[in-house]
Amino acid sequence: MYIPSYRAAISAEYAKPTTAVKLKKKVRISESVIQTLLFLCGAISVLITLGIVVVLGRESLLFFASEEVTLAKFLGTFKWQPAIGEFGIWPLVNATLMTTVIAMLVAIPLGLGVAIFLSEYATPKQRSTLKPILEVLAGIPTVVYGYFALTFMTPLLRSIFGQNMVEVYNTASAGLVMGILILPLVSSMAEDALAAVPNSLREASYAMGATKLETAVSVVVPAAISGLAAAVIIGVSRAIGETMIVALAAGAGPAFTFNPFKAAETMTGHIVRISGGDLSYDSLDYNSIFAIGLMLFLLTLSLNLLSRRIVKRFREVYE
Amino acid sequence: MRRFSVLSVIVLVVLALAVGCSPAVSPTVAPTAEPTTAPQATEAPQATEAPQATEAPQATAEGALPEVNVLEVKGDIISAGSSTVFPLSEAVAAMFRDEGYSGNITIDSIGSGAGFERFCTAGETDIANASRPIKDKEAEACRAIDREPIEFRVGTDALAVVVSSQNTFLTDVTMEELAQIFSSTAVKWSDVNPDWPNENILRFSPGTDSGTFDYFVEEVLGKEKQLLLDAQNLQLSEDDNVLVQGVEGSPYAIGYFGYAYYTENQGALKALAIDGVAPNKESVDGGTYPLARPLFLYSTAEIMKAKPQVAAFLNYYLTNVNTVIGEVGYFAASEEVLAASKQAWLDAMGN
Repeated sequence: MYIPSYRAAISAEYAKPTTAVKLKKKVRISESVIQTLLFLCGAISVLITLGIVVVLGRESLLFFASEEVTLAKFLGTFKWQPAIGEFGIWPLVNATLMTTVIAMLVAIPLGLGVAIFLSEYATPKQRSTLKPILEVLAGIPTVVYGYFALTFMTPLLRSIFGQNMVEVYNTASAGLVMGILILPLVSSMAEDALAAVPNSLREASYAMGATKLETAVSVVVPAAISGLAAAVIIGVSRAIGETMIVALAAGAGPAFTFNPFKAAETMTGHIVRISGGDLSYDSLDYNSIFAIGLMLFLLTLSLNLLSRRIVKRFREVYE
Repeated sequence: MRRFSVLSVIVLVVLALAVGCSPAVSPTVAPTAEPTTAPQATEAPQATEAPQATEAPQATAEGALPEVNVLEVKGDIISAGSSTVFPLSEAVAAMFRDEGYSGNITIDSIGSGAGFERFCTAGETDIANASRPIKDKEAEACRAIDREPIEFRVGTDALAVVVSSQNTFLTDVTMEELAQIFSSTAVKWSDVNPDWPNENILRFSPGTDSGTFDYFVEEVLGKEKQLLLDAQNLQLSEDDNVLVQGVEGSPYAIGYFGYAYYTENQGALKALAIDGVAPNKESVDGGTYPLARPLFLYSTAEIMKAKPQVAAFLNYYLTNVNTVIGEVGYFAASEEVLAASKQAWLDAMGN
């Protein structure tokens, strides 16, 4: 009974063409509430970022304003030992860069290899098996990786290179394991970039007689280069900021060394050790960790900006 | 497809290794929880019956501390400080809980200096654990917030200077050699003694905020912490287990920390004799071991009166510490010293 009458109503509407149509936007309260909420979500994350920058900046100002510290000393000397007034940041930066480079030596080739395999070679079934496994790798807590480095990778390195060559805490072991940690991040971003390359390019390449490998290496990868570069840079900033692995396995004393088999302390590792509950709030040591934090923040921020520029600059647009 | 499944099996095996490895090691690396559980398990039956029956009457007979009825003690106790005192406090706290204490005892292992910081400056803890006496500056900070610190000596630690058990060239060092080993003037072992190998000295020291560090610098390096902090191949950590693991790892490593951490890891470590005196009960009691040092708790009369649970815990601590101290790995303080601590407790409570 209902439906016929409904239809009748509609046809009645249409039957009256003279009725004025309301074009004015209807105000929906629920809609505007949701919009406001979503805007607030966005605003909160911006505010939090600003708050972090302010706190980092203020506390590190305290550090640089103190009489014992000068910017020249901070950037111009090579020893970090706040307890005796040595404030050269380079041992910490150097260790961070070492572990990062070692990690990327693992993550870039493996990550790109995995990405190319997944996007160009793998059958859908292989893909659907391999991807979740990689994601499991990404889901392992970093503290587990840390102990993995300390109790598996370090003994392995020591049995290969000799007990006296490789110290118990060393940057190589931490870096290698960090590479494994970053691998899924790099591979999944790289795979997205490769998958975004339109099929017409591949088909054109095959039509020219290229093999699958040639197509992958000389056509698909160059076409996706901006996305791949972004993946690598995101991986690098992840490696710089990684904390637990280096805190456990890399060492606990600032040392300026280029030998990956020696112990050295990274910026994040130092912050963890120093802030482990044993610092006076008003001491220079305490303020120094904010200066290190600011340095870290600047490093990763500039890397992220760089990656945005690269994406923009080298982006190939396909329709 | 088969190749692929082989691959995924390999990945799984690696994962299994990663997961399988970590628990196997955690006892050596993360034993913060260990000292609590280990003594508790062994102590429980022994502690609940024997000491209470024998100690308490004895104490009253001496006219010392009143008996604690643990079941009536309510409220939380917050303590923080030395990582050296930590295992001892943990063991006593475990006994205290076994006897029926239902509140929470927090014991933070953050180093003596940080312990005083939280006790005197932040004023947030009830008890400060320390492996060195309070400094004048710290005591002043305490008074500034109306806290007059009272010292309770609870035992003695023999600071153990340790090398890996793989080390074949060291069993005994003189105090001078020890100072050189931990100074920036020496890089290789042969720099200290030509008979020793031409290898880098790998140094492991507690962090700069630790009472153990302060003590070592004062006793061995003549207060010149610069000497140690400038040295190469130096690892600093407030976590003594990081040091244990580091020293175990190489025959050319050397470190120092509280005797309890040596006792816990005796298989892999070797404690050195200093000036011919090995750290043990006789040498510590007899006062011949040069690196024996007192362990302290600090609190104030106000806290003890305002929070009866703190007074009760300190009372229990002083009464029963000697039943666990040997097992934890430290040495009992002499009768007179403990009696003085008990008297300090009585004075504070105003009896």
